[in-house]
Amino acid sequence: MEYPTHMQSISRREMLKTTACGFGSLALAGLCSQGGAATGSTTLLQRSPMFAPRAKRVIFIFMAGGPSHVDTYDFKPELIKNHGSDYDFTGVRFGTFGKKSKRKLMKPLWGFKQYGQCSQHVSDLFPYTAQMVDDLCFIKSMQTEGVAHGPSTLFMHTGATNLVRPSMGSWVTYGLGTENQNLPGFVVLQPSASKGGPRNYSSAFLPAIHQGTAIGKAGQPASEATLRNAVNPSLSHAEQLRNLQFLQELNRAQLARRPQDDQLDAIVESYELAWRMQMNAPEIFDISGEPESVRERYGIGSKATDDFGKQCLMGRRLAEAGVRFIQLNYADESTNPRWDQHSNMPLHMDHARATDKPVAGLLADLKERGLLEETLVWWGGEFGRTPFSQSGDGRDHNPRGFTTWLAGAGVRPGFSYGSTDEIGDTAVLNPVHMRDLHATILHILGMDHERLTYRHAGLDVRLTGVAGEVVHGILS
Amino acid sequence: MIKLALFSLLIVGYSSAQAAGEFAFFEKEIRPLLHKHCYKCHSTEAEKVKGGLLLDSRHGWETGGDSGPAIVPGDAEGSLLLRAVSYEDGDLQMPPKYKLAEHERAALVKWVETGAPDSRVSQVVERGKGTDLAKGREFWSFRPVVNHALPKMNPILVQEDNLGAIDRFILARLAKEGVEPVGLAKTETLLRRLYFDLIGLPPTPEQIDDFLADPSQEAYARLVDRLLGSPQFGETWGRHWLDVARFAESSGGGRSLMFKDAWRFRDYVIDAFNDDKPFDDFIREQIAGDLLPASSREQRNEQFVAAGFLALGPHNYELQDKELLRMEVVDEQIVTIGRAFLGMTLGCVRCHEHKSDPIPMDDYYALAGIFRSTQSLVPGNVSGWVARDLLLEPVLKKAVDKHAAETKEANVALKAAKKELLQLEAIQSGAGIVVDDLHAEKVGEWMKSTSNKTFFGDNYIHDKGEGKGQKKVVFTAELPETGEYEVRFGYTAGANRARKAPVTIGHAGGPTTILVNQREKPPINNNFKALGRFQFSRGKAVVSISNDHTSDVVIADAVVFMPIAELEKDSGLEKRLAKLRGEVDRFVRRLDMLKKTKPTDLPKAMSVQDEKHTGDWHVHIRGEIRNKGAVVPRGFLQVASKTKKVAQPTIAAGRSGRLELAEWVASGDNPLTSRVMVNRIWHHLLGHGLVRTPDNFGKTGELPSHAGLLDWLAWRFVDGGWSVKGMIRQIVLSNAYRRASTGESAGQTDDPQNRLLWRANRKRLSAEAIRDTILLLSGQLSMQQGGPTIRKFSQYDLGYEFDTVRRSVYVPFFRNSMLEVMEVFNAANPNVTTGRRTETTLPTQALYMLNSPFVNAETRRAGERLARIDATDTVRLRIAYRLVLGRPPRADEAGLALEFLGQAGTRGWTVLLHSLLASVDFRTLD
Repeated sequence: MEYPTHMQSISRREMLKTTACGFGSLALAGLCSQGGAATGSTTLLQRSPMFAPRAKRVIFIFMAGGPSHVDTYDFKPELIKNHGSDYDFTGVRFGTFGKKSKRKLMKPLWGFKQYGQCSQHVSDLFPYTAQMVDDLCFIKSMQTEGVAHGPSTLFMHTGATNLVRPSMGSWVTYGLGTENQNLPGFVVLQPSASKGGPRNYSSAFLPAIHQGTAIGKAGQPASEATLRNAVNPSLSHAEQLRNLQFLQELNRAQLARRPQDDQLDAIVESYELAWRMQMNAPEIFDISGEPESVRERYGIGSKATDDFGKQCLMGRRLAEAGVRFIQLNYADESTNPRWDQHSNMPLHMDHARATDKPVAGLLADLKERGLLEETLVWWGGEFGRTPFSQSGDGRDHNPRGFTTWLAGAGVRPGFSYGSTDEIGDTAVLNPVHMRDLHATILHILGMDHERLTYRHAGLDVRLTGVAGEVVHGILS
Repeated sequence: MIKLALFSLLIVGYSSAQAAGEFAFFEKEIRPLLHKHCYKCHSTEAEKVKGGLLLDSRHGWETGGDSGPAIVPGDAEGSLLLRAVSYEDGDLQMPPKYKLAEHERAALVKWVETGAPDSRVSQVVERGKGTDLAKGREFWSFRPVVNHALPKMNPILVQEDNLGAIDRFILARLAKEGVEPVGLAKTETLLRRLYFDLIGLPPTPEQIDDFLADPSQEAYARLVDRLLGSPQFGETWGRHWLDVARFAESSGGGRSLMFKDAWRFRDYVIDAFNDDKPFDDFIREQIAGDLLPASSREQRNEQFVAAGFLALGPHNYELQDKELLRMEVVDEQIVTIGRAFLGMTLGCVRCHEHKSDPIPMDDYYALAGIFRSTQSLVPGNVSGWVARDLLLEPVLKKAVDKHAAETKEANVALKAAKKELLQLEAIQSGAGIVVDDLHAEKVGEWMKSTSNKTFFGDNYIHDKGEGKGQKKVVFTAELPETGEYEVRFGYTAGANRARKAPVTIGHAGGPTTILVNQREKPPINNNFKALGRFQFSRGKAVVSISNDHTSDVVIADAVVFMPIAELEKDSGLEKRLAKLRGEVDRFVRRLDMLKKTKPTDLPKAMSVQDEKHTGDWHVHIRGEIRNKGAVVPRGFLQVASKTKKVAQPTIAAGRSGRLELAEWVASGDNPLTSRVMVNRIWHHLLGHGLVRTPDNFGKTGELPSHAGLLDWLAWRFVDGGWSVKGMIRQIVLSNAYRRASTGESAGQTDDPQNRLLWRANRKRLSAEAIRDTILLLSGQLSMQQGGPTIRKFSQYDLGYEFDTVRRSVYVPFFRNSMLEVMEVFNAANPNVTTGRRTETTLPTQALYMLNSPFVNAETRRAGERLARIDATDTVRLRIAYRLVLGRPPRADEAGLALEFLGQAGTRGWTVLLHSLLASVDFRTLD
């Protein structure tokens, strides 16, 4: 790695500032002093959490469209027993308010077996993840807001179905900053542009520095995902370096005529950082150097798992590099997102096949490298699916009860929390609202969701609105 | 401790005798139950009392919370508490997370039915105090705007320095604080500042030379007027307002819809600034343009377009809870009007009284009544917005009218011909002997249907496309006489029908089977097809259809035996029928043709209109849409109105109140409106507003640094007919605007934030200015004005490929994707009113300037242009510096650059321009 020569002779003034406040701090020195752990800041400087954190970072594996919990992890013998019988589901969608709505129960399409020391039930959809159950902490009583993909997906990411609110990853970097000064703190791999689109990783009214950096797009191959403008194909490395040096000489000549101004220093500094990112980031996203054994573990090279496997491997590399919040997306751009089987539930098999091995591979790899001890992994969709059938062999959306799992730092391994009713429709025992999950994840990262606030439009806004409770029962 | 104290309080009014009697059940069953399930949120011990309801005393449930009394003794049905625990009402369920056990609910019902005896007494707990408006009106921004006298200053000084009012306010304050202002900026610096501030583009070297030749005060004033008069002024200042109006050309969010007519609003705003439309009119048109009187077609259209201000918000049109969606739109409109015109944050008042400003919930719902009386949504699974037809220009209108008249005419003629045809066909078929499928003998399973409407009798039947070779329908008629008959077979045509349905006619000459293509429309009445003429004997006659050797669906409806004698008796009828059928065909063809030539893409505006049913609306308790409180009369913010009468106007029946709201906002008496706008203008010119939170003039906003000056400007603004150009002119002619951004002063230590304005603030160049300048240098910038710029047939904002070289204000502006330079350099977030854009310094900006394909391609073009100039390197270098930075290079800069150019070879000039564009001096505005 080469740096412009003058990088080695940073002035004492700059050095002091850099070490005091870090990344982007020169630009915002005035604000830096106001920023503390409790209030977050406009810089990406690494900050101490409010209390001892259980995890340093999050990898969120988003399963877009809403995987069916009763076909994956939520084993319901009563549902199997009552297959085909009519139940009253009046009012589960707004459009059906006031109308009687009898629906037919449909048993899971896949068999369940028990795995691990914890004897968790997992369906035949996830044979690889099933081998990892002793590391997973299931929440089988999830509830959320909204019944359509757009509102629910936004809610899961931002805590609001319609209002423009910062994404969870933005809140996290706002509260904790980043560990790696050469990379963004919040990275979103291959996000879908629909169902909330960029708003799902937007910083909204938080300082723009906390905006998620989208790498690649849903529907494009993972191999094409990399940081924007990090490569200049028209110039050789030597030319780029020479040009950068010339630019910085011009800049210094300009600065020499001005009294000290942090804002101007920051612009000059940003070119140095840009260069460091240019040198580092493409390498992070380039997985070609990973050994075959590792690639195989993620399913890279096999048709079904290649693409998501690459995403998962990049996820590990980003975690390793100290990115604070990493979101992997199993998503696309269609009207019915991936797991959205309103009809033809057997298609769940394709999605399971595409993600099971890569996800299990990621978990195992993180564990082996000791990264799982400091990383919280979150797997789930925006909602679950109904225990009753729709259009013959499909299932409708279900925000009343579904399953999500966490793994790694801060959560009880081989554990299952809460449950839905006997047919898997509504969370009845220890319901965990999406807001509670938000509060809990912040808690695991060492932040109090009631104190992590930002003043916007006259209000101290927080991720969890005016609700949300930490689910202490799942903490390790 | 607290618990103990409370407990002793609770037992005060409770005697042991009663405990044994009427309170026994309460003590045994109810009190523990309430304690267990309700106290966490509904007791004086609760960390936060939810919904204002207390259940730890009799008084608590008697008065009730926000929704009223919780229990009506003796009336279980009428008790809210019981409704809540029953979990039958989706909007009112308590406890919120789980349902009480059956026996617990039963106990509660029993308790309430027996009169709800409650042994607990406690003191009355105060709830929600009213807002103190009188005190609220004392806050600076709610006080009336005052025509301040100018600060007293030494008259000689005033005359010598030709000091205007603005400078007198500022200098007086500086003198008071003991801070000396720095001198005026260098001519070149000022010129660059003025050009970018007023027209968003740099001065050309020629323009710099012209001004350097005569930098007098008069020449400066003339230049200001020239720039204010240029069309680029409106493009630059219109953009500032588009930020405030949270303008975008798509809805964003879930299913982002394209606002293909939003460009009209953009052009309206640009024109308004170029025409110096009085700002009060500008306000009225945006809030209630559709309701204003118009004296011309152009004005009418402009007003419709202007009201699009209310429609352009970020909405999730697919939200399934349509009542919620409606309220979200209303909320967005209230919030936007609050921030844009009044500098007030109103969103929080939707759910509770304003925490910092004197704005009660009643005020919010007084406004909500106005916007609920305004139609902004068109119903649908994915809802739509209101698109209003614009009045057409005369030539187009003539063509459209002509087309409409012709279409109408053809439709009338077609209808008449069809009617007559039907009548004649009825006469004709009436003469025959008909056998309906109802009376036919069916073999195999035949399904009744009425899906296709041209059938005979009550229905037709079909074979479901199944059981081929096993089904048959036999029509048997009783013919009165021997003779020749035309046999007509009835069916309904369709795309899934059999092409070869075998119909067998049992006539005197033996059976004949005819294959009927049931996909073809039957010519008679759209119902019957003549199969030919056959001889029959008197008595039984049989026609049958089977599904032998057919694929697809076979239809049977009826069979008609038409005596030939009848047909020949009235051959005139046949002829008339033929003629009419020809006519019907002709009119159908004509209508097809007219459909194809229909003028399309007629101009429409995103707008709003008053609802059919207008009226006041309820408070939504805690903002929950299905939890309705008292009805509030429509009106405006009380704290910003002099009297109750002003805040609550009489709104005539059938009116939304929007026009009244527009008048109230645009009134010179409104203490907020004029102050907010002059502060916005000041912010863009001086880099910071006199109030540094331009969208928030409430208590959580900042106080004005120069309250007297702000009022003086606001007063002049209203007094001078709300002229934005006049206000800008006044400010840029002041010394305060023209000062250098650096220099020696006590302000460096005493006022580093420059609140006193002892120097000019250094500003960032906007994303738009960066892009436009780069395109200007590469010779690519198009100065074309106005019009739609989204590429035709673009369905999504996502992944939209931006390919225009128009000025940045015309680049399509979406919520789900933005031209990269806009996103990277902090263009306004179009989801909220943005009076002040975010300022960041990020490595992504540096990466963009260094590596983006746009900057690379355009600087290459610019570099090649520069290299073609026939001059020495030194002269060329001077040109480059003046083009990019508006000044010549200094000696050390020239030295560096010439040395670099000497080594860099052919691409040297490209790299030089590229570097200058990336440099600090370009990216900031001194």
